[in-house]
Amino acid sequence: MMSPEQAVVVSILICLAGAVLTLLVSRSKTIAGWLAFFITASTAVLIFSAVAKVLITGPSPHPAAFWAMPKVGFVLRIYVDGLTAMFLLLAALIAVPAFFYSIAYMRHYEHYSVARYYPYFLLFLAAMYGLLSTTDMMWFFFIFWQLMTLPGYALIRFESRKPENVRAANKYLIMMQIACVATMVGAEVLAVTGAAVRGTVNLMYDFDTVSANLPLLLSTRPMATAFAFALFLVGFGIKMGMWPFGQIWLPDAHPAAPSPVSAMLSGVMIKTGVYGVMRYFLWLVPISAQEDYPLARWGMIIAVLGTITLFTGTMQALKQEQSKRLLAFHSIGQVGYILLGTGACMALLPSASPAVAALATIAFFGALFHVLNHGLFKGLLFLNAGSMLHATGTQDLNKMGGLMKFMPLTAITALVASFSISGVPLFNGFVSKWSIYVAAIQGGASVKYLPVCAVIAILTSALTLASFIKFFGVSFLSRTSTLVRSKAETGRLEVPWMMQLPQVLLAFFCVLLGVVPAIGFSLMQRALDASRGGLGTTLANAAPMRTGPLTGIGELNSAALFAPLALAVVLGLTFVLAYSIAKLGSAPRRAAAPWLCGYVREADCHRYLAHNFYGEIKRYFRWLGGMPRPQPGKPPAWKETT
Amino acid sequence: MDRSMIWMTVAGVLNVGLVLLVAPFFQGVLRKVTARIQSRQGPPIPQPYFDLLKLLGKEDIESGESPVMQRFAVYLSLATVLTVACLLPMGYGAPMNGAGDVILLIYLLTLCGICTLLAGLAAGSTYSLVGISREMMSMITLEPLFAIAIIVGALHTHSFRLDTVLNGSVYAVAGFPFSGLIMLVVILLSFQAFVQRVPFDISEAETELMEGPLMEYSGPKLALFKYAHMAKLVIYSTLFVALFVPWGSEFVFPLGWLLFWAKVFVLVLLVTLVAATHARYRIDQAIRYFASLVAVALVALVLASYGH
Repeated sequence: MMSPEQAVVVSILICLAGAVLTLLVSRSKTIAGWLAFFITASTAVLIFSAVAKVLITGPSPHPAAFWAMPKVGFVLRIYVDGLTAMFLLLAALIAVPAFFYSIAYMRHYEHYSVARYYPYFLLFLAAMYGLLSTTDMMWFFFIFWQLMTLPGYALIRFESRKPENVRAANKYLIMMQIACVATMVGAEVLAVTGAAVRGTVNLMYDFDTVSANLPLLLSTRPMATAFAFALFLVGFGIKMGMWPFGQIWLPDAHPAAPSPVSAMLSGVMIKTGVYGVMRYFLWLVPISAQEDYPLARWGMIIAVLGTITLFTGTMQALKQEQSKRLLAFHSIGQVGYILLGTGACMALLPSASPAVAALATIAFFGALFHVLNHGLFKGLLFLNAGSMLHATGTQDLNKMGGLMKFMPLTAITALVASFSISGVPLFNGFVSKWSIYVAAIQGGASVKYLPVCAVIAILTSALTLASFIKFFGVSFLSRTSTLVRSKAETGRLEVPWMMQLPQVLLAFFCVLLGVVPAIGFSLMQRALDASRGGLGTTLANAAPMRTGPLTGIGELNSAALFAPLALAVVLGLTFVLAYSIAKLGSAPRRAAAPWLCGYVREADCHRYLAHNFYGEIKRYFRWLGGMPRPQPGKPPAWKETT
Repeated sequence: MDRSMIWMTVAGVLNVGLVLLVAPFFQGVLRKVTARIQSRQGPPIPQPYFDLLKLLGKEDIESGESPVMQRFAVYLSLATVLTVACLLPMGYGAPMNGAGDVILLIYLLTLCGICTLLAGLAAGSTYSLVGISREMMSMITLEPLFAIAIIVGALHTHSFRLDTVLNGSVYAVAGFPFSGLIMLVVILLSFQAFVQRVPFDISEAETELMEGPLMEYSGPKLALFKYAHMAKLVIYSTLFVALFVPWGSEFVFPLGWLLFWAKVFVLVLLVTLVAATHARYRIDQAIRYFASLVAVALVALVLASYGH
């Protein structure tokens, strides 16, 4: 039986070998696709078994070292604890559907070879496995970061004949390199000043060494340490799309990449930034150093940045008219929720009262659960957008309409994803938001700004809903547009089953975690128990929630609780009641054309487009930026009418 | 099945039944009083019951391209309103006290709105879409108001439980309840919008959008929408009374219960009075109005977190 660390290293090696193999067979899109899928699936099996081992029997006692070459100080140290396990779980969980979806999806790129797709995609996945589990804050961090950035760059500029994609990829590359430098300089500052105060040691860039030096550092060199942590926040902030950095690269990069890659970029890659913040700000600091570490102040900075991120990202998303660009802005918005949860956790954690410290764990659960949930629903949404692109050949929401009639399964999964991201109860997004609100509002007694952050988050949740009402409404509902009608005449619009299956799978997880959130919470409690290090120990000791598959989730003192199954039963019964009331009169039913107030038939210029939605709100928030660029080519229909 | 489960079921059925029974009556009173204020005769008070029964038997014309979605949205619309009814105390404890908290309540109230939006989108007429855009914009600015009112109560009582918060919790502070009174004024000033009555029935606006999202609906579907609309008046009124006017609910059973519904009835009369004497706002005016209320509410929230 492999140790979790060995499983991760073997997965990385399988991915690297797979990159070579898929390059060799890349003449055939189908063979390369299936091969890449089987490679991903086999690494996923390894990762799942490693995660299961860590969560059930606990992590290994020490990090495992591979390829040690002591003379040059080269060693790959890998450690899989509970926190790493949760992120690895997410990576594998999204990668498998994304690769499966790719097999059929990549066929529609007639002019591009998959030789520049699958090998890079596998390298990208390998890098994520590595980055999430290495304990080296310098060299292997650099190697894995670059291994993620460079293939990511190649994937974003996959459609290299479109100049805007190349520009987006360049922007991504530059921002990621800045982030890499910021993070490495931060690590260097900690390591060098640590070595200066403690004397040189082996493995000075190792996580444990830095962590051991930190108490002394915090008391003797507080400014240098604060500088290093600020650099970490900037570096990982760029990666995760935090305001103001996210707006620079993220909305351009996500739509440019092929849809399965967008799903991985948004679902998993930006979460490595979240992982970095959680790992460095909470796990790096030993409990003994808590006195000197301004945790509450960092918490305030992160929570406020998170609130700004969630509001600006979502408000800018509301203005978008391109499907994948809209989703990309929402990635910024949802990362804001995760940051708010993390920040609230850090702000509440130093409290002396155990009840408040328990709230910190609830906030952390909210953030971590939202990482998982956002991966699921945003991955699904990008696959939905990919299916829409596959069917209509455009990302422009103004040109879509009435797709539900032609692609019902995609429509239903898109509705599930839209409900999830908008936080509708019984879907997974609600539960993670619920935990963040519970912690932020109840924590208001000791940390005064948190309720205001929570209210802004609730308001933003309504904005998210508005945005997805538009996204879902104008593309799948509404009336068939000219473009969709002409496409439907030439062939079937619904995507093949190989593209449907991954969407259905992700939608299933969204509903499952929404109806039985106890699964997520018990996983996270186990994950915390299995990652006792630094301040993570305090979080793990709190154990603030009671969970049950039937009774739902709640605080131990029952001040806040949510039993989704009971809600589902009541909602189901009232639904049946509503249905039977409607059937009381046994009214005849008939289909007819809508009444157009005197017009005989609907012209394109009478349609209400994505562009027309929410005019007043968009106008009031014009200063916030993010207005969609005018599309090249034909001017939009509303200008043609005189 | 233990006793709490039985209590929950009985109270839930009672709440749902009460809302279904009372909603058309309130609508009838509203129409009658409006008519009297405007010097008209007005329909008899039971007229809404007859209207609903009539609509249930009328032909159901589906003009949208996604009829399944239309049906789903209609049934869900009434279902969510009735589910919210199970979360509210109506003169006795909230039936679903053990199954959800006030955050769930905030989000379920939003879900009520979503159903109308989905229905309108599924019908797909341009008029519906204009109405939906308006409806959603006012939801964005309105949702924080009741949310803040509820959160102010939650901050005062350090709890999210329905029975604790929906019991006049906004005033539950040691000193003078500044935040609670500010929220009382704010919610009173925006209440017409929550129940979608004049001057804030902008999304339906019969005279310009021909009922907006409901334009393409007829027969039993329209009946269900109308029913949900009437029920919303009851729901929001009970929520208001539970949150802001808790006095008297400690009396023995029939007295406290009757007093509760009397307060709800007075609130409905107030809504009627405002609706009958005002003209509709434009959407941009309404949004600016709500936004300034949100600003005031945020002040109340800050006061509440400092314990005032």
